Amino acid sequence: MTGQTTGMEIELRRSEVRFGSFQAVQPTDLRIAPGEFFSILGPSGCGKTTLLRLLSGFLDPTAGDVLIGGKSMVGTGPSDRPTALIFQNLALFPLMSVLENVAFGLEMRGWSKVRRRARAMELLETVALTEQAGKLPAQLSGGQKQRVAIARALAVEPAVLLLDEPLSALDLKLRQHMRAELKQIQARTGITFVYITHDQGEALTMSDRIAVMNHGRIVQIGTPDEVYDHPDAAFSATFVGEMNVFDGKVAAGADGFARIDTRLGQFRATNPKRLADGATTLMFVRPERMRLLDAAGVAENRLAAVVQRRDLEGAYSTLTLQAQDQVLTVHLQHLGGADQLAGGGDAGF
Amino acid sequence: MTRLTRAFGRPLALLILLFASLWILGLIAAPQVIMIEQSLWRMERPEGSAEISVRIDGLYNQLDVLALDRSAVEAEADASIRAQKLDTSDVALAALEAEIAGLEATESTPVKVYTLANFAQMGSAHFAIFLKTIVASLAVTAIALAVCYPIAFAVAKLETPQRAGMIMLALVIPYAINELLRIFAWQMILNYNGPVNALLGLFGVEPIPFLESGTGVFVAMVYAYILFMVFPLYNVLETLDSNQIEAARDLGASSWRIHTRVVIPHARPGIAVGCIMTFMLSAGSYAVPYIMTRGTAAPWFTQLIYNRFFEATNWNVGAAYALSLLVICTLFIFVMMRLLKVSLKDIAK
Repeated sequence: MTGQTTGMEIELRRSEVRFGSFQAVQPTDLRIAPGEFFSILGPSGCGKTTLLRLLSGFLDPTAGDVLIGGKSMVGTGPSDRPTALIFQNLALFPLMSVLENVAFGLEMRGWSKVRRRARAMELLETVALTEQAGKLPAQLSGGQKQRVAIARALAVEPAVLLLDEPLSALDLKLRQHMRAELKQIQARTGITFVYITHDQGEALTMSDRIAVMNHGRIVQIGTPDEVYDHPDAAFSATFVGEMNVFDGKVAAGADGFARIDTRLGQFRATNPKRLADGATTLMFVRPERMRLLDAAGVAENRLAAVVQRRDLEGAYSTLTLQAQDQVLTVHLQHLGGADQLAGGGDAGF
Repeated sequence: MTRLTRAFGRPLALLILLFASLWILGLIAAPQVIMIEQSLWRMERPEGSAEISVRIDGLYNQLDVLALDRSAVEAEADASIRAQKLDTSDVALAALEAEIAGLEATESTPVKVYTLANFAQMGSAHFAIFLKTIVASLAVTAIALAVCYPIAFAVAKLETPQRAGMIMLALVIPYAINELLRIFAWQMILNYNGPVNALLGLFGVEPIPFLESGTGVFVAMVYAYILFMVFPLYNVLETLDSNQIEAARDLGASSWRIHTRVVIPHARPGIAVGCIMTFMLSAGSYAVPYIMTRGTAAPWFTQLIYNRFFEATNWNVGAAYALSLLVICTLFIFVMMRLLKVSLKDIAK
């Protein structure tokens, strides 16, 4: 090792990107702490890849500033930034061996052949690929390629590692495994990770903080728990996890709670935006927060619905309910037969 | 065969096979075999023709002696003896004349002799032209590669697909014009009294004999065959994943290193195809040197071959010359493939 690498702070100051008349990234302020695992979560076309290119240096902001480690990076090309990028398709060099791929950055920095080979072997050891050193990328499995890409990026000892949905091509099991491995590498190296994804599961499991992005704008920043449990925008509520949405009107709002009138009756809910009485609003309820009740029981937050379908997902089952003209989704923990229902019942939360 | 039958049905498959074999036999194999056979023999005076002519000379001497004897016999007084002697000498004379006629026929009927002498026919002057043609063709190939690589790269990687399509179309359009006309255009431009010399004259430069020095052949050839270099290069560069270029840049590679380590290795099959085509066309070109020099500069080797065939009407030497060129061109293909580590399979792609 040539000295311990540490993460650097990233800061965007009113950074925006326009392509002609198209505003890809709205003016954005953002601060990512050194050594943080930061995810940017959003649907495709929301501007998250543009934001990543802004950090990696393939793009300069139309206006505003990009700082890494306290220094403005505007006008500094990708090769001179303390960042390394892992591409969505990994972009391994197909004609070079695994070892040459990993040593490429060092070769470009003028390291001697002996030194860079030794260093590349060290890195391959950390990702358990020493035996594949002489192979071509095409001869590796998906997960192995992934690890080569990581080793190649780490070889240049970046202070910031930028990841552009690198796990999207893997199957579920491997993806879960690689999540853990990425998290572990991040903890070991102390590098700042900026992870771009449209997969909320990846963002929730790995991140220290998540930025939810839509239409070129960051709509919410918070820890995974905050984003999931207290979404402060309709978009982050529906994009992260599933939601049942009710149209309604605030009947009585008081100290963070509100009574909301909907077509299915009156419900009591949190009122994070402190809406006043009479305001039209949307009420969101997570499917796993709803329960099936017998005819008698709690009086509050209760509605009548008919079970249309039951899909067993494994750990839980998904019920599709019809309540008047609205379709609702309920997740029930699967305890082995207990949640099997006939075709009707009440639901409450 | 079975696959052809399955794809097209039996009658059509047979037809395809028939045409294919006709093409291979009639248009590739047969002309080559005939050419090789032609180059390997020549008509020679029969073996021992020198001795035969000495013998003929001797026989003529004998004939003269006999004629002298006969005139001496005519002075013989005894009529019967004279008649008898005259008969004898006439028979001897007739036999001698018959022998001479036979020998003369043998001497003047050439025999077909298989020999490598046709190849040795190439004197130092012709060999110099042969070498000059090869070297000049190599230079044309190198210039075409140097000109086309940046064009092909720019079009394939830096332009949007629509713009790239337009540029390629613009490159093709001039090639709809007859090749001879395009060469004539260059002939006029580079003429001693042409516009280029007129332009140079404005700056006080003496007219340069572009055509007479052979420079014109060079320029016209690069222009005439440039497309055969651009298209293979463009096709192969288009398949290069742009992420690889970005990955290399991100890892600190300079533009030069990106090209030498990533782009050119990827482009090898295209470079090989382009070089082979340009070299073969240049080395085998007849019209370009013919029109550009009109006999004022040293000829191209193809012109020599033409002369052997149709002016010296020595098909055997012509065939030998043509075969020499073919061998060099074939050698060039293998050298290129070896140099660029490209297999026939890559080229076919």
